[in-house]
Amino acid sequence: MKGTLKVDAKNPEAAIRGLFAKWLKESRLTAVLTPAYSAAGTATMALVSNPEKLAEAAPLMPAMGVNSASIVAEIAREVSPNAKVGLFLRPCELRAVVELMKLKQVVPDSLVLIGVDCPGTYKAAGFRDVRGKDADFDNKHALEQAGYADNVNFRMGCQLCEYPKPLVFDLNVGFIGMDADKELWLEAATDKGKALLEGVELKAQDEPEKRKKALEGLSAGRKAKTAARIEELDKAMLGPDKLVAYFADCLNCHNCMKVCPVCYCRECFFDSDTFQRDIGEHVRVSLRKGATRMPSETLLFHMTRMNHMMASCVQCGICEDSCPVTIGLATLFKKVSQNAQKEFDYVSGRSLDEPLPLATFRESEFLKVGEE
Amino acid sequence: MANYEPKIVGFLCNWCTYAGADLAGTSRMQYPPNMRPIRVMCSGAVDSVYVLRALLEGADGVFIGGCHPGDCHYVSGNYKARRRMVLFSSVMQSLGLESDRVWLRWISAAEGRKFADTITEMTENLRKKGPSAFKDKWEV
Repeated sequence: MKGTLKVDAKNPEAAIRGLFAKWLKESRLTAVLTPAYSAAGTATMALVSNPEKLAEAAPLMPAMGVNSASIVAEIAREVSPNAKVGLFLRPCELRAVVELMKLKQVVPDSLVLIGVDCPGTYKAAGFRDVRGKDADFDNKHALEQAGYADNVNFRMGCQLCEYPKPLVFDLNVGFIGMDADKELWLEAATDKGKALLEGVELKAQDEPEKRKKALEGLSAGRKAKTAARIEELDKAMLGPDKLVAYFADCLNCHNCMKVCPVCYCRECFFDSDTFQRDIGEHVRVSLRKGATRMPSETLLFHMTRMNHMMASCVQCGICEDSCPVTIGLATLFKKVSQNAQKEFDYVSGRSLDEPLPLATFRESEFLKVGEE
Repeated sequence: MANYEPKIVGFLCNWCTYAGADLAGTSRMQYPPNMRPIRVMCSGAVDSVYVLRALLEGADGVFIGGCHPGDCHYVSGNYKARRRMVLFSSVMQSLGLESDRVWLRWISAAEGRKFADTITEMTENLRKKGPSAFKDKWEV
């Protein structure tokens, strides 16, 4: 089921809010997780259940503070028979939710995945100043589509993102390549999605060519930018000397792990007692090389995290945003994870049916590995 | 580096390669003493963190020995080790680091000769390559 939804008063955000209101009032959803503005004007996420509270919901807000898959992992660890929650999420968030489902950290039964196009976001921190007093900022951003590809003020993860449209969804709300002041593109991929569209006035039609082209163009531009950024990265990072320098400022705060939507362990191995060393052990390590960096084993942390998580990394870049010493993690993880996933012909979050690379194997593969 | 002798940390699967090493020893086969063996229950139990820690602390090489594909005591541990090795090599290459300092080899309990030869070959190989760049790097 797909088609266009009429937008009134050049306000696509209000049209989406209208859908939320309908679903909540008709009890088709118990609550919806959506971006929202606080009274102080800061960008956040909200789980809205009362349709009257939808005034603060800002489904098209171009700002991201967390990858909301982390929130989903908190709220959907098990089936809740009493709740049906709509997740109104961006492509990278939905891709992370898909990975978490495969990692058995999110139970999908109570959830409806409602995707939305995302041409890129600003950091939530400081977004209040970007938006200023413009109450119509979100709509203007959705309508002014020319600057999407090369907006250098977007989060770095967004600047490199080639997935402006969600890959897995029950229902998707599209505005890229649409005249979003007049109409939005709605597309249901599953029965859950179709159920939400029942009673919604849609003008049935195929996906407009203009929209397909806009999405492809945006994706191609981002891929080119990624290639150029990785070339720059390699100059600063390749090899043992540069790699150590690249991570030299690391404080060992583990923020990158804590905000990572797919880093799913309840307790990280690196926060466990294994790494609680006494003074004697530090000295023993120091004696071997004559000195040892303190805080210790920060590079080990990052390299291990790469080995543990790269197969599922959705390249959202929220790790870089959370780094207090601005280590360029978004481009680095983009490179490392893309290469790693290519080995297994895997794309994180692309499909619920593809098994996780490290949770499966075939007997007749990689036959040269392990042989001389 | 006149006195350079490669240091190898070896993770040997209990059921095959460790027994293969045992056979090499009881058969009095000669091989270089450069490898420090660590017995693990399965090659599939060798997490990348152990390999990385050995390398970053200055090991010149890491050896992982498992049962031949199809012979795993736990049915599929070595197949998983193989995938993990592919991922590990990819990450190392993406970072511009040498992935050929880490060897994964299938050596059965009957292959004492193969064990001795493999360790000899790896030691020679690392002797030619020279010491790991992380050996003297205290700031990792």
